[in-house]
Amino acid sequence: MKINKRWEIPWHIIFFIFILVLLYPIFYALGFSLKSLQDAYNSPLSIIPKNITFENFNQLFTSLPALKITWNTFVIASVVTIFKIITSFLAAYAFVYFIFKGKNVIYFFLISTIFLPFTITMIPNYLIISSLGLADSVWGVILPQLADAMGIFLLTQAMRSIPVSLIEVARLDNMEHWRIMKDIVLPLVRPAVTSTSIWFFIMAWNEYVWPVLILKTVDNYTLPLALQMYISSEGGTNFTVAMAVSVITMIIPLTLYLTFQKYIIGTFVSSGIK
Amino acid sequence: MMNEIRFEKVKKSYGKVEVVKSLDFSIRDGERLILLGPSGCGKSTTLRMIAGLESITEGRLYMGGREVNDVPSGQRDVAMVFQNYALYPHMTVKQNITYALRTQKMTKDEIEKRLKDALQMLGLEKLENRLPKDLSGGQRQRVALARAVVKQSPYFLLDEPLSNLDAQLRGTARKELVRIHEKFKQTMVYVTHDQIEAMTIGDRIALLNNGILQMLDTPENVYHRPANIFTATFIGSPAMNVHDVRFIDGQLQIDEQFFGIGNEWSLLLKNYRNKQVKFGVRPEHIHLSTEMSEGRICGVVNTIENLGAQYAVYVQIGSKEWIALSPHRGFSKGQRVYLEFDYNNYHFFDPETTNTVGYPSTLNLNSKIPLKVEV
Repeated sequence: MKINKRWEIPWHIIFFIFILVLLYPIFYALGFSLKSLQDAYNSPLSIIPKNITFENFNQLFTSLPALKITWNTFVIASVVTIFKIITSFLAAYAFVYFIFKGKNVIYFFLISTIFLPFTITMIPNYLIISSLGLADSVWGVILPQLADAMGIFLLTQAMRSIPVSLIEVARLDNMEHWRIMKDIVLPLVRPAVTSTSIWFFIMAWNEYVWPVLILKTVDNYTLPLALQMYISSEGGTNFTVAMAVSVITMIIPLTLYLTFQKYIIGTFVSSGIK
Repeated sequence: MMNEIRFEKVKKSYGKVEVVKSLDFSIRDGERLILLGPSGCGKSTTLRMIAGLESITEGRLYMGGREVNDVPSGQRDVAMVFQNYALYPHMTVKQNITYALRTQKMTKDEIEKRLKDALQMLGLEKLENRLPKDLSGGQRQRVALARAVVKQSPYFLLDEPLSNLDAQLRGTARKELVRIHEKFKQTMVYVTHDQIEAMTIGDRIALLNNGILQMLDTPENVYHRPANIFTATFIGSPAMNVHDVRFIDGQLQIDEQFFGIGNEWSLLLKNYRNKQVKFGVRPEHIHLSTEMSEGRICGVVNTIENLGAQYAVYVQIGSKEWIALSPHRGFSKGQRVYLEFDYNNYHFFDPETTNTVGYPSTLNLNSKIPLKVEV
């Protein structure tokens, strides 16, 4: 976008205000996680703590198996991401490079599931997971999330941008599909795969509703559930500890996002989703 | 027979649209066959059927005597150069050229030898570690050629490989292609819509229109002995003049003027007495003069186009416009001129079938095509 020189400074001021509004909750959580509860009540609008204290983190780690919970979240997010990206990649490859009857119809139905609200699949999924005996287990959280229509859509779009002749050259050279995927398609859609993976990871990391349905034992909890415990705990919200949980919850997705933001934005822009 | 490609009533349809309508011809072992035709004539589809990248709707395709209708592209042993070169953008020149060889588990020494030969042959020695994005159009085209050459396949397919190059590079690349073919003598099928490429590279030209083979012959015959009006007017620039004339008593009537065509041609046109016939003559076979004499007909200059080496003079005769080539400007708009048609280069076509009426057996092809690349 070309900005008229005269408007450059006012635009920068407006953007700066927007950025402040967006960043405020993050700094607010960080500041409050380092405040004592009393300090928090005395100055609820000030971000900067009077005396920095790690008491909230200490309380969190003593009252809850916080390391185990973080580990659970990490395992769930990682396994879900790995499976989702593999299934999305394979499905997208088939939709783009295979010719089979009903391809477009199947693709249409698959993509239309993106618009199905979670509440529709929630009960059938719960019944299946219970009957498999996986309720209250990490695998119960993971299993229904192993494939994703949105991922298939994003990677299909990315693969469609590869000239077909590249794949045809490989076919003429008698290349097997796994080799075409590994040597040609994957390197060319790597930015899309990276960004989709990060997006999957963040989604799985922040997932709340499904784990809350499945997980009962605190030992199996994920970070969003732990956060909820402090927000709606009996006897009032201990919100400085809740902020400490928030900070831990934020660190990994934020780091991933900041590292790979170039790919993430690129993928969504090239797919026509903004 | 060894590496011959044979089409037997081959058809290709996309739904109800028939793109290729019953092809029936053979491509000889080791020849350079050009598939020529306008956009959408089915030439690329034909090439892709040979490569196995398009299925065959009906008929049979044989390669080296073996029916290949159901043989996957990878097992047909063909090397192909695509219009957009299809270089892997994430691989260096060297990796692009050797990728197929590496996956075939060829020995390292053999790969290195073939790579070195190809790089040397195509003048790519110093570029082997560059990525395609760092190469010019001509260099990319040479890498694509090198990649096809190292495979040493018996069939060499090219889909408009020079269409993205500028005119000067195209000339060099044409010679390069012929040189490569002379060295390896594969069965080469070359798709183009450019008649100069067709005439200079091809041993034979297969001219297609609307999915139908119009003519398959040597460039000389395609140019001098076109089988039908489409061939006559597609090949040659400016295009051949083809107009309705009437054949009366050994003479042709053009508008209200007459000129004799001699016994040989009259004999050939005996079935068209007092009837209409299509008369064709190439612009370079019309001689313009400012003086009337026997056998000439009169017209008025409409426009003159400067083509560089010569001038295209558009002459109006009655309701029809004729194009003649003149080596000098010498004429002006509105001037009365006299046209004389070269006796040896008349063409007559049946008005209904549009096929040639034929040529007198006493006539020989009297001019070689000067564009032919000799190696």
